[in-house]
Amino acid sequence: MTPRLELKNINKRYPGVVANDDISLSIMPGEIHAILGENGAGKSTLMKIIYGAIEADSGEIYCDGNLVERHNPAISRQLGIEMVYQHFALFESVSVVENIALAMRGRFDLKALSEQVRALSQRYGMPVDPKRIVHDLSVGERQRVEIVRCLLQDPKLLILDEPTSVLTPQAVEKLFETLRQLAAEGCSILYISHKLEEIQQLCERATVLRNGAVTGVADARTTSSLELARMMVGSELPKTSHPPATPSSEPVLEVRGLTAEVAEGFGVSLRDVSLSVRAGEIVGIAGVSGNGQAELISYLSGETIAEKADTVRLLGQPAGHLDPARRRQRGLAFVPEERLGRGAVPTLSLQENAILTGHRRGMVRHGLLDRKKAAEFADHVIRRFSVKARNAQSVAQSLSGGNLQKFIVGREIELEPKVLLVSQPTWGVDVGAAAFIRQTLIDISRQGTAVLVVSEELDELFEICDRLVVMCAGLVSRPLETAETNREEVGLLMTGLDKTTQSRKEVDLALHD
Amino acid sequence: MRFTIEQRPEPSVTMRLAAPVIATALTLFVGSILFLALGHDPLRAFHAFFIQPISTMNGLSELLLKASPLILIACGLAIGFRANVWNIGAEGQLIMGAIAASGIGLFWPNPDSVLLLPLMFLAGMLAGMAWAGIPAFLRARMNTNEILVTLMLTYVAALVLSWLVHGPWRDPMGFNFPQTALLPPAAMFEPFDYAYRLTPAIFITVVAVIAMWLFTDRSFMGYKLTVGGAAPRAARYAGFRESSAIWVGLLAGGGAAGIAGMAEAAGPLGQLSSTISPGYGFAAIIVAFIGRLNAFGIVLGGLLLSLLILGGETVQITLGMPSAITRILQGILLFFLLAADFFIFYRLRRLKEAV
Amino acid sequence: MIRTSRRKFLKYGGAAGAALGLGGWANLARADEILRVGVVYVSPVSDIGWTKQHSLGVEAIRAEFGDRVELTVLDNVYNPQDAERVFRELASTNHLVFGTSFSHGTPLQRVAPRFPDVAFEHCSGIVHLDNLGTFEAKYYEGTYVAGVAAGHMSESGRIGFVGGFPIPDIVGPANALLLGAQSVNPDVTCSTIFLNSWYDPGREREAVNTLVSQGCDVICSMTDTATGVQTSGELGAWSIGYASDMSQFSDRHLTAFTLDWSSYYVDAARTVADGNWVAEEHWGGLSDGVVKMSPYNEAIPAEVQAEMDSVKAAIAAGELHPYRGELKNQDGEVVVAEGEVLSDGDIRSMVWFVEGMIGSLS
Repeated sequence: MTPRLELKNINKRYPGVVANDDISLSIMPGEIHAILGENGAGKSTLMKIIYGAIEADSGEIYCDGNLVERHNPAISRQLGIEMVYQHFALFESVSVVENIALAMRGRFDLKALSEQVRALSQRYGMPVDPKRIVHDLSVGERQRVEIVRCLLQDPKLLILDEPTSVLTPQAVEKLFETLRQLAAEGCSILYISHKLEEIQQLCERATVLRNGAVTGVADARTTSSLELARMMVGSELPKTSHPPATPSSEPVLEVRGLTAEVAEGFGVSLRDVSLSVRAGEIVGIAGVSGNGQAELISYLSGETIAEKADTVRLLGQPAGHLDPARRRQRGLAFVPEERLGRGAVPTLSLQENAILTGHRRGMVRHGLLDRKKAAEFADHVIRRFSVKARNAQSVAQSLSGGNLQKFIVGREIELEPKVLLVSQPTWGVDVGAAAFIRQTLIDISRQGTAVLVVSEELDELFEICDRLVVMCAGLVSRPLETAETNREEVGLLMTGLDKTTQSRKEVDLALHD
Repeated sequence: MRFTIEQRPEPSVTMRLAAPVIATALTLFVGSILFLALGHDPLRAFHAFFIQPISTMNGLSELLLKASPLILIACGLAIGFRANVWNIGAEGQLIMGAIAASGIGLFWPNPDSVLLLPLMFLAGMLAGMAWAGIPAFLRARMNTNEILVTLMLTYVAALVLSWLVHGPWRDPMGFNFPQTALLPPAAMFEPFDYAYRLTPAIFITVVAVIAMWLFTDRSFMGYKLTVGGAAPRAARYAGFRESSAIWVGLLAGGGAAGIAGMAEAAGPLGQLSSTISPGYGFAAIIVAFIGRLNAFGIVLGGLLLSLLILGGETVQITLGMPSAITRILQGILLFFLLAADFFIFYRLRRLKEAV
Repeated sequence: MIRTSRRKFLKYGGAAGAALGLGGWANLARADEILRVGVVYVSPVSDIGWTKQHSLGVEAIRAEFGDRVELTVLDNVYNPQDAERVFRELASTNHLVFGTSFSHGTPLQRVAPRFPDVAFEHCSGIVHLDNLGTFEAKYYEGTYVAGVAAGHMSESGRIGFVGGFPIPDIVGPANALLLGAQSVNPDVTCSTIFLNSWYDPGREREAVNTLVSQGCDVICSMTDTATGVQTSGELGAWSIGYASDMSQFSDRHLTAFTLDWSSYYVDAARTVADGNWVAEEHWGGLSDGVVKMSPYNEAIPAEVQAEMDSVKAAIAAGELHPYRGELKNQDGEVVVAEGEVLSDGDIRSMVWFVEGMIGSLS
């Protein structure tokens, strides 16, 4: 049988980096093939070459046995290749269905398309309202739009770049069912991930990349996780140690009955949210993104000021009225979900990005910057969190997402905060570094920092948190002791099916708004 | 063959260095065609344009005299531009600075006072800042668009000037001509040498350039402004207040333009008339961007633009070309410079076509 | 001062003076020197208008001296900052430098003392120095003659005037226009609008529209465009051109008072070459040919044309003075008594309107 897609000796260099080093692989029709590798291993570059978004320096691409001589995304789509990017390519100011319509060939029939979108998204368990403006969608919702858009094209080869990180366990299951069904219909699937379990569960074969080169092709179902991990990382995986928490009696971060109405289409209204974090413990907020996490975090960080000062309390004092600078002064640090543009200034160097929140640590004297101090601080973060960057002078946007995430997490941890808010701590970070970040979060909590983690990866929350709350439709569940709960319970809370918190009807409505 | 323009993953260091060279080469090429078509020897024309104007002491003095206000204003504006605060009304702020300074110079009770120049300096600066303060207040408080407000206020300033020189400040001995009396000698900068026009006012610009460099490159405030401009959400994340960026950005530009207005009135002008600026406030915007919003880049940009203006005159004098031709050449160079700059951040890529 | 000017014209301007002029020129030629003249225009040269008339003066020098003169011309120099630099530049290489705009005044006053060996001539100037002479035209003589036509041709008895700036050089001619019209119809009034710009076709068009809608049916526009003539023609009003003959822009163009600076240009060049140039104030009118009337519109009745010619001749001969009393100002106060004549100094600083003028001077 002719492979659906065959790559021969693909090479791609960037200044100072070999992104793809002589990569060859083949995918048969109907095969689900995994590309496994740490961040920075060259997976995303390879996918973009396949899709035609970037050009390889050398090498050949065959599609159904034919050499693809000239390549670009338009040609890909003629060939039936569709791709769901890790960073979404959506127009923010128009609606979901309009975004999808832009990618479709043929006539514009928004009404019919809306119906198709609704039907498809329901079928695959990815509810998307076609009329909503993309600007208002969470990262997770945007990904759903991307996937639905590709499925509408009836693809022959579907490329998915880390698709599950924003889905509930139940939704992942549903997605996998869909993908298997697609494969059974003859569609080939290239599945990029660093999650070993998923790959073993879903894929037939896995091509493992490390530092831009293929380290092996394995049968995903028979090869052990340990073996796959070794091929991927090149060494043994570190394990986190989790000593018992000894939290303070008084909470240092507290939310009391925070209610914030927002106009429809402008985010999620928070409804009577209460939670507390004590010094010395890690509290996790679980939930599918777009259920109010971003809004809540913004009230905690001070980027949004609360109407009543007392609804947010920091170290026992009302803090809802304070701006981010004042809250930081009192010992708060924060890692936001968006790295570029919020957690870091894309066009500035790492050294300059260190000043962004680190300026209180001796980097400013008499109103002037002490660049040496900033460089030392940045170098320290780069070393301690093994950030892959040429040096502290590297521009933030030149780093891969995972490496920038490591830098930002490292920067905030190095500030030795009393309260640390972390949104998606290991999103896009490679396995080794993710483990290190998790361990560091546990360590600083044991040294007395109160840590609040928002994550869409349940595994991660179960690994590091002492207590969990679940967010759904702007509501926060009662706190659960991690040791006393399980994925199923949390999963149900995430979809609003737990009758003990709220009436099912209300939550259901909120979900489908 | 089809091409596409795409953003470079990182700004190109090579292009950064090569851009001015490429732009110059292209200008020389297109300019040569232009001159040949007009029947002039391109070598002579370019010599007249770029070399001759600065081959004498007087030429150098004139170059600095012209560049000084451009650089001064561009430094102030660039601080705002870095923070995405778009003050395009420096022309009006310059006019208000010149008015305030001249007002002191003309009506101060003691026209021989040594305090006259310092007072005029202060008055010019404060008037420029006040004029820029209006859009700052409106944007910080009511989120109005400062581009519109600063531009509109330029016309208001021009009308205020027109009213003054046609009305209350008109020289009583001036036959109703729309201009004020000459400023007294103590209200004027004394040239270094009476053979040339350059005055110590150039030192104001030198200080401004150093201050601008310190501010943008070394100061925390400058850093905050840069962050606010490059990534507004990062500024909010870090707790840098947007309103302070607006105020600092606009007041820096307004103050610089006001001082430039004072220096023009107390230097080459010596009086107010209905037209006191050859568009310095607008040209400075070009200078700021040619200089890539960087203090030393602005110095080069200001010198270049001034050389283009002087060169345009020299070409008229020595080769008898009309002023329109010289303006075309100025336009060509600026176009190529900014176009070449574009390729620092973007690149042209050939698209592969379907088989 | 007018007398000196006239004397010079007799000496060099007439055909009889050619030999003397050549004699002077011979001195320069023996020294193997070419006369170098620099001229600065305030705007680019176009088909008509202020700068065009100056360029004719420059051409007259070229015609007179041929290849024994080197002319350097810069156009579009308006701002005082740039003007001063340009004048310095020209003064460093030329024998004679012309400034052609009022706005060139302060820069010329600053530059002239630094170049005592260079002759400077300034058109529209009000200050003259040892080596800075000024020359100017008696526009009011032209507008008075045009006013006679306007007085006859206006049916509404209202004429309109559009001016660049409310300065004596414009205010005076506006007054004379009305005085000329009133000399044939005492009830005529004149409405005025100042643009505060020499070149603003948009606002000039608006101004003419306003005047015509107020009932004015003869329009005179003293700016640097033909917009006034053109717009009047479109609206069916008569017009009076300024600086150049503007009959090509409207068939309702009555006449124009045109400016011919050639005699000043040639005279200055010749005396400089001669070595006997002196800074003077020249102020010429109809008699010197500095102000001329362009061909009259055929629609003007023959007897009116004849009256205009006789008024012109009387002014040129000094028998008629446009500003002869009794003249009242807008408030009806007598400014010039019956039989008296406004002094030259008062004419050159005239910033008041005579009775019958409508509008203000600000």
